[in-house]
This record gives sequence, C-alpha cells and structure tokens, in this order.
Amino acid sequence: MATVLFIPGLVCDGLVWQAAQAAMGDVPNVVADISAHDSIPDMARDLLAKHDGRLILVGHSLGGRVAMEMARMAHGRVAGLALLNTGIHPVRAGEEGKRHAMITMGYARGMAEVAAAWLPGMMNADAPPNPALMKALTDMVIRMGPDVHARQLRALLTRPDAGAGLAYKGPMLLMTGRQDTWSPIAQHEDIRALCPQARLEIIESAGHFAPVEQPDAVARLLAEWALGVVRDDIALVRIPDTPLYDRPRGTLGYALNKMAMGLSTPQGRADFLSNEDAYLARFNLTPQQTAAVKARDWAEMVRLGGNLFYILKLSAVDPTPIRAIGAAQAGLSMDTFLDTRLGKVTNG
Amino acid sequence: MAKLIAGIGTSHVPSIAAALDKGLRHTDEWAPFFNGYIPAQDWVAAQKPDIAVVIFNDHGNAFFLDRVPTLALGVADNYAPIDEGWGPRPVPDFLGAADFAWHLADTMVERHFDPLICRELEVDHGMQVPMELIFGRPQVWPVKVVPILVNTIQYPIPTPQRMWDLGRTLRAAIESYPTDEKVVVLGTGGLSHQLQGARAGYINPDEDRKWIADIGPNPQRYRDMTREDYIQVFGSEGAELIMWLVMRGCMDERVNTLSRHYFAPASMTGAGMVLLENA
Repeated sequence: MATVLFIPGLVCDGLVWQAAQAAMGDVPNVVADISAHDSIPDMARDLLAKHDGRLILVGHSLGGRVAMEMARMAHGRVAGLALLNTGIHPVRAGEEGKRHAMITMGYARGMAEVAAAWLPGMMNADAPPNPALMKALTDMVIRMGPDVHARQLRALLTRPDAGAGLAYKGPMLLMTGRQDTWSPIAQHEDIRALCPQARLEIIESAGHFAPVEQPDAVARLLAEWALGVVRDDIALVRIPDTPLYDRPRGTLGYALNKMAMGLSTPQGRADFLSNEDAYLARFNLTPQQTAAVKARDWAEMVRLGGNLFYILKLSAVDPTPIRAIGAAQAGLSMDTFLDTRLGKVTNG
Repeated sequence: MAKLIAGIGTSHVPSIAAALDKGLRHTDEWAPFFNGYIPAQDWVAAQKPDIAVVIFNDHGNAFFLDRVPTLALGVADNYAPIDEGWGPRPVPDFLGAADFAWHLADTMVERHFDPLICRELEVDHGMQVPMELIFGRPQVWPVKVVPILVNTIQYPIPTPQRMWDLGRTLRAAIESYPTDEKVVVLGTGGLSHQLQGARAGYINPDEDRKWIADIGPNPQRYRDMTREDYIQVFGSEGAELIMWLVMRGCMDERVNTLSRHYFAPASMTGAGMVLLENA
C-alpha cells in the first residue's frame, strides 16, 4: 500500500500535520524531515532514498516544492501529489535580499524575533487573534533553529524551475487558503494549468498556514483524497497501461469473466448465440459490463475487470482476430498497431 | 536412476496451434517459424526420451478464477485436449507418466512445494503447442507426459526465484527415480507479449534475443529479476517466461545450447526456443 509522506514547509515540523495525520485512519503516513539540506533537489533525493515504495506526497509551501521535485525525479513512485499553499514561480526580484535579511535576523536576534516578524503575515488577516496557535507556531520556529532556517531559505533561493519540471500525470489535489496572500489562489491555478487533472480546493477563513488555521477542513479533504488514491493505486498497475489481474480487478471483473467462461462449452455457446441478452442476464453483470460485451468493446471490458484469457472466448462465438482485440485496446488502427507495436517480422 | 537428457524452452502461442490446424505450416508466413524447430525436433527424436515434464500455465480453461492453484501437478494416466471455446483440437490425448508424477509429488512436498494434485485434467494450448513443436503431430505421442501448471494470470503469481527452486526439486526427483527412463523438461511460455490494456501489442525482440542467447550460459540476470521486471521488460503475459526458469533451474550450472530459434511476431508474441543439455 502507498504511504502518505507529509512534507512540512519552512521551519515547520509535524505540528502542521497533526490533524491530517489523525484523520488518516488506516492509511500509512509519516512526516518527512527536510531540515538537513540546503537545496530542494537534495531534499527530494534524500526523501526518495529514505522512504520506500509507493508514496503519496503531501507538501505544504516549501514542502510542496520538494514534493514537485520528487515527482519530477521519480514520477513512477508517486501515487498522488497534494500541494498546499505553494507555487511554481522562480525567484522574484528583491526576494534574495529579503531572505538574506531573515537569515541574518535568525542568527543575530534569535528565532523568536523571526517568528514575530514572519508569522503574522502568513495568517488569515481577517481572523480573530488565536494566541494558542501563535504560541505553538512560535515554539516550532524556535525549535527548528537558525541553522535549519538558513539552510531552507538558501534552498528556496536556489530552487529549480518547478513549472518546467512539472509533468506529473497522476492524481493531484491543490489546496490553499482564501486569505493566503503569500501563495494566493492564482498560483495554484497556474499549477492546474500545467496539470489539468488536478483538483483545486479553496479553504475558507485560512491564510498560508491553512493546515493549522483550519485543521479539520484540511484534514478531512486530505484524508478523503488520500484514501481514494490508495484504493486506486492498489487497483492500478505499477506499469502504465498494464492491468494485472489482482484482487481489486478480480473483484470488479469476476462476473464478467464467469460469463465468458460459460462459453467454454457447446451449450454455453449455443445459448449465447440463440439469445445473447438472456445468456448475459444469468451472470449479474453491471449495466456497463453488459453494454461493453454487447458492443464487443474490448478496452472497456478489460477496464471493467475482464481478463483477456476469459473474454477472448467471446471471439469464439463472434470471430475477432486477436490482433484486432489488441489494436482496439491500444486505441490504434490495425495498420498503425501492426507498424508501431509488432513491427517487422524478424527471424532466426 | 532416471536421467535428465535435455531442457527445452519454447513459446506456446495459440496462433501456432491455429496455423497448424489451418494447414499453414508451409506458408511463407509460418514456414520460417516452424523450420527453426527442425534441428531440435531431430535431436530429440534421436535421443528417444521416455518422459516429458511440461511446465505451462492454464489460460482460463482447466481452472476458472473460483479456485486458482499457484502450482498444480498432473498425476493422471491420460490428458485430453480441452475445449477453449472452439471445441477440442484434433490432437491425440497425452498419456501420463503417472508413476513418475507421484514420485515427483512426494519429492515436491518433502521439499516444501505443495501442489494441487490433479487426477483428472484436460490440457490447453499451453501444453499442446510445445508438444507439437517438439514432437510434431504423431498418431500417438512418443513420450509420456507430466504437466506442471503454474498460475501466471491472477496476482500474486509465484516469483522467478521460486520457479528456479522448483527446477532444483524437479531435478532431485528425476535423479532419485529408480528407472532408467530418459526425461526432457519443457519450460514454456513467452517470449515478450502483452494482450491486455493500452500497452497491448508490446513486444521486445532485443530483450527476447538476449534471453534466447543467455538463458543457457548466463541465467543469473533472470534469476535476479522481480516479477515486475519481467512485466516491464517482457510485457504482462511475457511474465510467463518465469516458467522457463523451472527448466533452467533443473539443469546443471554449465550447459550447452544445442539449438536456438527466434521469430517475431508470431501473432502478437515474440516466439522462440532453446534446446539445452548439461555440459
């Protein structure tokens, strides 16, 4: 099963993911540590090395940029990508000076001063004061310390061109706060323009720290999304466009394959040929499966759990060359299929 | 004691059977494929083996998905061709080497391979086609058979490493069998092909040729590959090649490749054969 990897942002730790972790139920999840490196590619490489298997990446702010870099480096391992309060824009004019000033402040005046200078602008300005939350966030910033702060700011200043690298095709969830002036909604719309499959959720009454400003709303969305990703990932194949007959597909397709297995006998074939509807009605197929069989839609039958070794028996009652079944699944004309997949005869 | 005289790896593509049934053996399309088997056929005929152990997968014919044996072993006296949807093919029944099959069952279980043991079994193209490719279409098959069926359809399928170990166990069974019968082992399936999904029609002739060249002298790479590697390199149904590892694992570390052949595509499959003897 895929593991959810929560990647925190600048001078953040598991505090920002507490509510989301609590909502994950049976979905395995862990908080990433990006405190040891001073470049986003190094952070991404480090996490890919430390965390095995299929990953569902959930990144906040700087953590979102690390997640995007991981997806660029190892898209085959990324089962899903959730990006919160983040962006893909390169370093902006004036950004370098401001960030260096913060690094200096962290060392010269301490992280409490950094927290006091930095945190208020990150929050929803319209919300009533929340001293308990500010205290917890300030403690976290102090806990992370000036070295982590400096390393992570340097990583932001040398960040790769995230937009150019973002070609992820898998499930994506984008989330930001309605009142996030640091990473506004428009930045997430820019990401969705590159990845149209992404779903964009706006969290009301939240700023840049949406995961702690509206913990319940964020946690609920993340948990629902992650559970769906995990389920689909089990059903999906690890190798693109290659459906393996595993438990989920077996459950989906059992009745369809049983219907096809019935064509192994002369009686079954005669019944099918004399009254296809009545024959199909014996097997509790879904309406979609029935329609796919009647249309001889091979790609759809496989998508609905048909295994070719079984559904192939349909070609005994309704002769269809195996190569035509292949071409139909590949979505290619027969000539293109033969040219591009099977190629020229080679012998000897 | 019985003697292992050869290991043979071969495809078992159903279109080969259809080509034979339609009398296409000598056509321009098919003759180069079938002719490539002639040296191996001649060699095997001259050796006069007594028993052929055939490792193959059932293709949704003898077993439905209601119960899927990871490993099944035939101990019957007779195996008829099964109806795969077009009626049983006009292939003679196969006579079973029941005594050796029961000895193999004992050896397997002693060594912790626990197969489904089949007293009645009809066999599909997975066994028919390799037998026809090696022994032609006689009135009576010149060898008795022992079918070993491996699940390669429903996941989890067994690992390549387990298949190799099964080959070691098969060898131990042959060498502890108190007759002077001569045994050939046929590992079947593959080579590269994929029948399902949008990647249907995938074949990989370069990797197929490497397989044909290396399965005898350099099998280590194929022992080390995962099931996912097999699917990636050889396609989802190309993962059937793990069954060749039973044959190769049965052989000595050092073997001579006596004959080899490759042809692509046979229908939607890279098809090929190797004939190995212990060096």
